[in-house]
Amino acid sequence: MVSPGTRTWSIGEALAAPFRRLSSDQQRWLILTLLAIAAVVFPLIDRNEGDIDAAANATAFAVLALGLNIVVGLAGLLDLGYAAFFAIGAYFYGVTSSWQFHPEWSSFWEPFRWLGVVVHYHANGEDVVHFTLSFWIAMPLAALVAAFFGVLFGAPTLRLRGDYLAIVTLGFGEIVPIVVRNWPTLTNGAMGLNGVQAPSLFGYSFGVTSSPYYYLGVGLIALLIFVSSRLKDSRVGRAWMAIREDEIAAGAMGVNRVKLKLLAFAVGAGFAGATGTFYVAKLQTATPDMFMFPVSVMILVMIVLGGMGSVYGVVLAAVILQLLQSWFLQDLSGWMHVLGRAVGNEWMQQIDLTQSIELIFGIILVLMMLYRRQGLIPATRATRALTLEQQTALPSRGTIDVDLRVVAPSELKPGTAMLEVEKLVKAFGGITAVKEVDLRVEPGSIVALIGPNGSGKTTLFNLITGMNAPDRGRISLLGEDITGVPSHLIVERGIARTFQNLRLFNNMTVLENILVGQHSRTKTGAVGAVLHTQTMLAEERETREHALEIVGIFGNRLMPRLNQVAKELSYANRRRLEIARALASRPKILLLDEPTAGMNPAETLELAEQIKSLRRMGLTVFLIEHKLNVVNELADKILVLDHGEKIAEGTAEQVHAKPEVLEAYLGRKVAHA
Amino acid sequence: MTFGDVLIQQVINGVSLGAIYSLLALGFTMVYGIIELINFAHFNVFMVGSFLAMYILEALGLNGQNVILTGFPLVGVLAVALVGTMLLSGALGVLIERTALRPLRGVPGTAAMITTIGVSYILFNLVLLTIGADAFNFPNPMPKVRWGEAGVVLQLREVLVWIVAFLLMAGLNYFVRHTKMGKAMQATAQDQEAARMMGVEVDRVVMITFFLGSALAGAAGLVFGLYYNYTNFAIGYTAGLRAFTAAVLGGIGNIPGAMIGGVIIGLIESLGGQLLEVRWTDVIIFSVLVLVLVFRPSGLFGRAAVTKS
Amino acid sequence: MTSIRRRLLLATALGAGVSLAIAGLGGPTPAQGAEKSVTIGIDLPLTGADAEGATRIKYGAEMAIDEANAKGGVAGYKLDMMTLNDATASAGQYDPAQAATNAKKFVSDPNVVAAIGPEMSGAGKAMAPILSAGDLAIITPSSTNPDITDPKFAGQFRPAGKAIYFRTVTTDAYQGPNMANYMRDTLKMKSVYILDDSGAYGVGIANAYEGQAKKIGVKVLGHDQLNPKEADYTTALTKIKALNPDAVYYGGVAGAGVKFVKQSYDVMPKTIKAGGDGVFGPEYLSAVGFPAAEGLYATNASPHVTEDPAAQEWVKRYSERYKVQPDDYAITAYDAALVIIDSIKRVAASGKPVNHSNVRDAIQSAKVKTLQGEVSFDENGDINSRVVSVFQIKHNPKYPVDDIIHQYKYIGVAPQSPAS
Repeated sequence: MVSPGTRTWSIGEALAAPFRRLSSDQQRWLILTLLAIAAVVFPLIDRNEGDIDAAANATAFAVLALGLNIVVGLAGLLDLGYAAFFAIGAYFYGVTSSWQFHPEWSSFWEPFRWLGVVVHYHANGEDVVHFTLSFWIAMPLAALVAAFFGVLFGAPTLRLRGDYLAIVTLGFGEIVPIVVRNWPTLTNGAMGLNGVQAPSLFGYSFGVTSSPYYYLGVGLIALLIFVSSRLKDSRVGRAWMAIREDEIAAGAMGVNRVKLKLLAFAVGAGFAGATGTFYVAKLQTATPDMFMFPVSVMILVMIVLGGMGSVYGVVLAAVILQLLQSWFLQDLSGWMHVLGRAVGNEWMQQIDLTQSIELIFGIILVLMMLYRRQGLIPATRATRALTLEQQTALPSRGTIDVDLRVVAPSELKPGTAMLEVEKLVKAFGGITAVKEVDLRVEPGSIVALIGPNGSGKTTLFNLITGMNAPDRGRISLLGEDITGVPSHLIVERGIARTFQNLRLFNNMTVLENILVGQHSRTKTGAVGAVLHTQTMLAEERETREHALEIVGIFGNRLMPRLNQVAKELSYANRRRLEIARALASRPKILLLDEPTAGMNPAETLELAEQIKSLRRMGLTVFLIEHKLNVVNELADKILVLDHGEKIAEGTAEQVHAKPEVLEAYLGRKVAHA
Repeated sequence: MTFGDVLIQQVINGVSLGAIYSLLALGFTMVYGIIELINFAHFNVFMVGSFLAMYILEALGLNGQNVILTGFPLVGVLAVALVGTMLLSGALGVLIERTALRPLRGVPGTAAMITTIGVSYILFNLVLLTIGADAFNFPNPMPKVRWGEAGVVLQLREVLVWIVAFLLMAGLNYFVRHTKMGKAMQATAQDQEAARMMGVEVDRVVMITFFLGSALAGAAGLVFGLYYNYTNFAIGYTAGLRAFTAAVLGGIGNIPGAMIGGVIIGLIESLGGQLLEVRWTDVIIFSVLVLVLVFRPSGLFGRAAVTKS
Repeated sequence: MTSIRRRLLLATALGAGVSLAIAGLGGPTPAQGAEKSVTIGIDLPLTGADAEGATRIKYGAEMAIDEANAKGGVAGYKLDMMTLNDATASAGQYDPAQAATNAKKFVSDPNVVAAIGPEMSGAGKAMAPILSAGDLAIITPSSTNPDITDPKFAGQFRPAGKAIYFRTVTTDAYQGPNMANYMRDTLKMKSVYILDDSGAYGVGIANAYEGQAKKIGVKVLGHDQLNPKEADYTTALTKIKALNPDAVYYGGVAGAGVKFVKQSYDVMPKTIKAGGDGVFGPEYLSAVGFPAAEGLYATNASPHVTEDPAAQEWVKRYSERYKVQPDDYAITAYDAALVIIDSIKRVAASGKPVNHSNVRDAIQSAKVKTLQGEVSFDENGDINSRVVSVFQIKHNPKYPVDDIIHQYKYIGVAPQSPAS
């Protein structure tokens, strides 16, 4: 607040003052309301049909951008063939509601006529069936058909790396228009569909005026902004972003990558399919040339410009680029012509700036990637810096009240191991990383796994957590065989892990990271996310409470930083966050891979205490460590691995006495020196 | 022509076509092999290269197919054109690397690839806006020599393409395997960090990689123009997709693989067109691309580095 | 509020302000002096793949309009041109959606009394219903797809009933089949292989040709498609060579056509090559060159103009003014403009207000002398004279290589019905 009298206000500040007094949420609502009013009122102010038409086209592309935003921006799957789904939606409606098919009339068609799907057309000597599927039914149907193809085209890409995935989707994006062009009986090929029907509402046909389409388009944008926002801020949205950030970690946190990637493709394709119907109904024709690679690139440019993952950014960018193309450049060229005539410059009189729009697209792509990769409206909001107090607060150890719902020792049959590994073998090419390893971890104990670098410790973890499948051997959890179970299901069974080299979801906040950790314990799907069902709201509440409890374990280390993105945290805090994330899945046993790596002695001791307290809660811990003081202090039992084989097992004293262990660490000569 | 004759002719067609795709795939696959970047702009550097070659040949006094040379003058003119085109295209490649790609060197994910899409668009549209959409009659001093007439025909231009493609491939292979810079490039391809720690100037290596790759694209542009007596602003597009598939098929990053991949794609195109219909060629080639990437991403000869663990 | 939010608000306000300003102003309004003026709309794909041809068309129409203005206008009205581009970057060529938007712009501007265009039938399909609703006539110099004026599809393309899509070219319903007749009767063709370039125009004319060829007993050995984006057609050409047809007919435009002519000269120099009006153009001369282009047959969907002395002088005027050679469509565009000018004159003379409805009626009843002869339209909007002229490229060294008037030699009319 500027107190009057200390300095004079500028006009801008004076005007903005009442606005600044509102809370940020209220500010947001105000901006949105103003924009909505502007959108509704626009055709009444500017009565030029051409302008309204261009705006209606812009709405279609805004919806396309929203759809691609889900696939690329949220889930991180670079789809370069998105126009294919646009085409599929368009031709679905085009074929079911135009003159493309006109078989001879027969009584077979009577029930369809009764349903209103076809019309018996007899005039000009013809007696045929005219397909007239209602636009309002066709649009959701087209979305479903396109979603089906989204799954079909996405399925082969599931295991591919980013750039290869892009190329495969590009391939599909090219194949669809070619098929359309070469299948004239279905699509009239290159000549384009004839007479696609305009939508009609309560008997009023939209015809060729632009305003009804414009309002329909605005309605579509509003609806899909709503759906996108709801999805983004939900379990599904977080799972998508986790896949985008680090697929492997996402799987290890319980995210079923196959299902969620296919869901992303399907939802994105669905948006495009619905838009295709809208677009072709407006145009009343469709040609395969309308859906080629440059359209896919244009939508990509829109989301790069707007901000990948940012719902409003993408809509803004789509509107800007479309209007640039249909209004500004044409008008600007006109102004240039006038200027050229006035100045007498030949070149200026002839110039047509609309030619340069593709060049502008290319320049936008390059400049945005180089200088502002997060786009115009970044998806992750900048967070407030911590106050001085918070930054200089003395660290406090947390209290342990968290209910991890572990299996209490008394419930188990005596003698059941928490984790048991029998004769496990894994080879990569010529190298056997894990050779006939046996081990047992008793419930409620802390077991440490040590050994020189390259001895196969992390590989063993990967086998236990389902990231690789063993060649031979058996792994069981509480007596149940879990050999070969994939990583996202392992979490459900009760094994959680951290990673040697930190695999956090870097662009997600601390809170979001921990919420993803609970993915396997929650079940709200896309539908629940959009509709905000009671179950979903209850689930969100519970998961947030649980997350706060877990964060409390680490005292005030993470608590004030809940809304900071993970990559901004200090190294030690990132390590803690990874543990918190693993704890969130309510595991029975926690696998920690070098949890104190890189921490200073004070931090190391603190973490060791926190791990001990976890054991007090009944959690079993199995950790890989190099710092022998930590190992000695924490571990009930130590296992030593060298070149994939277990060479020692026992308490700290037993293990350190063994010559094989010394040899493994220090070499033969020194060991026997 | 007997059916046997037709088949042989189509095989010759396919292999010649394939040689052009190989040439185009060479530079592309080399760049990918060393910095793991899918460079969309490569194929428009090829297009720009063919225009550069056209201007060089016109400057040397050639015009359409009206001026025919033989012997030393012919070799001399072609050599000048080749060297000039390669140098200029290489320079273009270095410019692209320096301005658009170096700043993105450490960024994970597909950011760099998206940038190459942007660069590709920029090149394409600059040519379209300045030179226009016309097709051009490419100056060609080679005499029209052909062997065979009614049956199977072999043309001098086809032999030229094979010779140039093979020589360039052999040259590139030798360079990469037996020179110091080539070894530095191999090291960078394996592990950039480690190479840097061994004293390899990674920045310089990447720059030379781009120079070479783009120079090869330019050479492909010259050969294309001489082969078809034609060039225009759109030649990068389809030739690009075919060459890309050839690189992937042969094993992306593998130089002899690119040659073999190119020939296979050329044969698919000619034999597929003969036995089915030419209109389906695109669908067939794209299907090959998708199938290879999904079922055998390392291609025929490449390193397996495509899937995640 | 946060700085990002403040910036966003500022940007939105700025953007909204600028866009409203430009939208409201809608581009520069031409200087309206004391004189009356009317606007003729021009819709062409001025960028992208068809840009060269579209520009030549524009020049043709422009020349007629400028000449009329130079003579003091038409019945006291100055003629303005509203030139709109129906190509978009994403399509890379004409875009039906953009054509529809342009049609709406024409219809909503009361100054626009008639329009010229589009070049491509795909755009025409999108524009026709809108123009019909607005009772605005458009004359196309080059769109030859028959569907748009076919009474069978009247419900879709002219829902208001009256014809609004006029043509100064005839349609592929005549161009293709007539050439088949010609080739069988005059060129003694017994077998043919047909190619098209997968575009809307090419597929239409090739199919029409094929239908007629089969009807008159010519053996059709096959019908395949060339991809304009591909560089190499030797596969298809080798296949065709092996089948040994008397002739190859190509339906399509220069994108694939130029390469087809060039490469077929290598593979089968002795086979007859023919095409529609898509192979009549300077690119076939400049990009293909001689001797490869020699002997190519092309048709014109209008009576021949090249031998008319008035046309020679016109060609000289055009090429001096615009520094490019005119092609077939530049002539039909010029003629289309002449029809509109004449119609405006007649409306003004009859005392009725010069608006789009009256001008449409006048166009419907037009009988105008033009470069291609007398132009009048039937009740569907098609040109009455259904003459298809046949040309053959014969190198005339006295003239520049890309001079279409002198390198394409007129050799006769393609008959509407076969000889037997």
